[in-house]
Amino acid sequence: MIKSFLNSLNRKNLKDSRFEFLFEEDSDEIVVFDTETTGLNPKIDDIVSIGAVKIKDNKILLDSAFEVYIKQKQAISSESIKVHKIRNCDLNKALELKEAIDKFLYYIGNAKLVGYYLEFDVAMINKYVKKMYGIKLPNQQEEVSAIYYDKKINSIPQGNIDLRFDTIMKTLDLPPLVAHDAMNDAIMTAIIYLKLKQIRKI
Amino acid sequence: MNQLLDSLKEHPPFSILDNTAYDILQKNTRIGYYPNDSVLVSSGHTFEFVYIVIKGQVEARGDGELLDIYSNNDVFGGIEILKNELSNYDYVVSEELICFELNKNTFLELCDKFTNFRDYFFLSLVERANALKNKREYESMSDLMISRLETNLLHSPCIVDGSKTVSEALEIMENSRVSSILVKNREGYGIVTDTDFRYYILNADNIKHISEIQTYPVISANEGEFLFNILLLMTQKSIKHLPIFSKNKEPIGVLELIDLLSFFSNQTYLVNIQMQNANTLEDVINASSRLEIMISALHSKGVKSRYIARIVSDINKRMYNKLFDIIFPKEWKENSSLILLGSEGRSEQILRTDQDNAIIFRSGFKPENIQEVTTKFVEALDAIGFPRCAGNVMIINPMWCKSIGEYKVMIDEWCEHPSYENIMDMAILFDSISVAGDSEIHNEVVEYLESSIDSNPILIRHLAKSIENFDSAIGIFSQFVTGDKGHKGEIDIKKSALFPMIHGIRTLAIEYKIKATNTYERIKELNNLGFFNREDAHDMIESLEILNSLRLNTQLMTTKGAINNYISVSTLSKIQRDLLKDALKTVSKFKKTIQYHFKLSLVG
Repeated sequence: MIKSFLNSLNRKNLKDSRFEFLFEEDSDEIVVFDTETTGLNPKIDDIVSIGAVKIKDNKILLDSAFEVYIKQKQAISSESIKVHKIRNCDLNKALELKEAIDKFLYYIGNAKLVGYYLEFDVAMINKYVKKMYGIKLPNQQEEVSAIYYDKKINSIPQGNIDLRFDTIMKTLDLPPLVAHDAMNDAIMTAIIYLKLKQIRKI
Repeated sequence: MNQLLDSLKEHPPFSILDNTAYDILQKNTRIGYYPNDSVLVSSGHTFEFVYIVIKGQVEARGDGELLDIYSNNDVFGGIEILKNELSNYDYVVSEELICFELNKNTFLELCDKFTNFRDYFFLSLVERANALKNKREYESMSDLMISRLETNLLHSPCIVDGSKTVSEALEIMENSRVSSILVKNREGYGIVTDTDFRYYILNADNIKHISEIQTYPVISANEGEFLFNILLLMTQKSIKHLPIFSKNKEPIGVLELIDLLSFFSNQTYLVNIQMQNANTLEDVINASSRLEIMISALHSKGVKSRYIARIVSDINKRMYNKLFDIIFPKEWKENSSLILLGSEGRSEQILRTDQDNAIIFRSGFKPENIQEVTTKFVEALDAIGFPRCAGNVMIINPMWCKSIGEYKVMIDEWCEHPSYENIMDMAILFDSISVAGDSEIHNEVVEYLESSIDSNPILIRHLAKSIENFDSAIGIFSQFVTGDKGHKGEIDIKKSALFPMIHGIRTLAIEYKIKATNTYERIKELNNLGFFNREDAHDMIESLEILNSLRLNTQLMTTKGAINNYISVSTLSKIQRDLLKDALKTVSKFKKTIQYHFKLSLVG
């Protein structure tokens, strides 16, 4: 009840009718995405890149993978370069923020969004979408670490569950990737999601 | 670039491609995830994708039998798409699968652009085998690169002062029995070898001092140098004597080319000589202890396992002879025959897997202290490192220690009651050779066995029937199903491949009255007699070689005392896995040949 009320409120705020499709219901598409940012605070930090893949019929569609780099107002600090390995010169092909966000919105459509610590990535995107179009992403969301938690808790009811990305990968016996960029993290998250959906408990 | 795709570049056939191709791949690939038992493609359907396994396992099954298995980095579907054929098998996920799916058209496009890539899918077994052999050569090269010069290879240096006359120097050289002398000059060293003396003989009139004929300055190397560099230096400069200097520039010895070369060759000669000269039990045990080092050296040099087996069994025959002389009472020598059975009888045992031996006494001979003597023999084999035979085929077992007459009675019994145990005992005895004593005694028993089988045609079909013993119930690859006891991801290569091959060939050898006991020899004979055509015989021999070599490889890697027959599929290289698959296919085909030939479906 409240959810749909909030959703319609959100919809009323939409300033650009091009993006009505975000609010359409009944999508069978799933988009797994990840962002690389200049820091961990959505209020002050910015997105450097977005990587996303679609899942359909239990397959990760690399052929329609999405990857953008975003031009920065300021040069990227050396601390954050060390984390995400995106150097200033890697942003040569980068898009203007607005163009990148528009492309992303067209890519996701009304698909369900999946991610690891998705709340953060969605908050980052929302920060821009709110400013630009007056709304927050209305898409359904599913957090992989939450699915993982639910399946794991059955086996160790009182246990402390380690939800770190690498631990999840290891527990699920998935091939680890060394590189942590938005694209590869999105792919890994997608594989985790596929596996979690297939198994009853861990 | 997606890193998973990136890792593909390391494996053939994708390693053949270039960056433009990777771009195409990137844009046309999907990642699929499939739980166990998903069917990717079923028999009679077309492949829409080429599948590349990222992680997991897929089995190809046809008519309920497991025919092939694909794991990490393996590719399937390519050849079917190229030939535009339907799938012959059901491809079923046996361990949850993450894979790339490359769509058909993109794959064909890549094949058009990159002919090497296309050709890879048509590579034959032999070409892949060569690729593997090259790899092994490379590995032994790398051993050679990293070994350093050890002082025990050196001859102690014979140093003379440059002011000595040639004849004085020659005298010193003669007394110290060396083939080169180092000449000490005011500054640095020179060397005098045969070549220099040749020069002296031609110009003797004008020469007085040794320093006048020396090769100066001498080419030398420092202690601790890589052997590979030294070999290179000596061959490049074509020198046979290389002085080696210590860190403080003092000569510590002279390396001779012949020693260096023999260091790189094997120790076979040495072991053989040592065995030949052994006089006590202790000598024999000592000589035997070198065998394993010799085996791994030969194997790492890429010597085919059937040749290693031949060398080993030659040495072992000599060993048994010695043991016989040392342990057995003199009068046994003329009145008995010590025989080896099973794998030792076929001269196919490389590492010591078990002792299979028996003794046959001449009729009327009454040996004394049988138990004491035979126990001593078996204990000697224990000490050498032969594990006891699980099936108790040893001379301490009265069943395998009796007179010709008693053996004949046993054979009659086997023929009357062809139970599985009896049939297998018969097979073991059929693969026997005499290694000490009077071989005529052994011949008489074998001939009796042959004529008994010959006069009882149904027996041979019972024998052949055993080939089906380790069959489809678990598939060719046993223990692949997850959660199996202790051997997940492993194949019992003996039960699933070697046994059917060896046993099938043995049965044919009985039928065709082939005297040889060695499986390779038997295959060659069957080829000569026309049972196999050249190509099939070649395939059989190569497959047997692959199986034996992989088995040896794994056994050499496992720690002592734990020799088993399991091969872990995931630790094999891609090429090894491919070779193994081809060998297993040959086994599977051969089994069908045997089943048809002996009409096994009619035997109850």
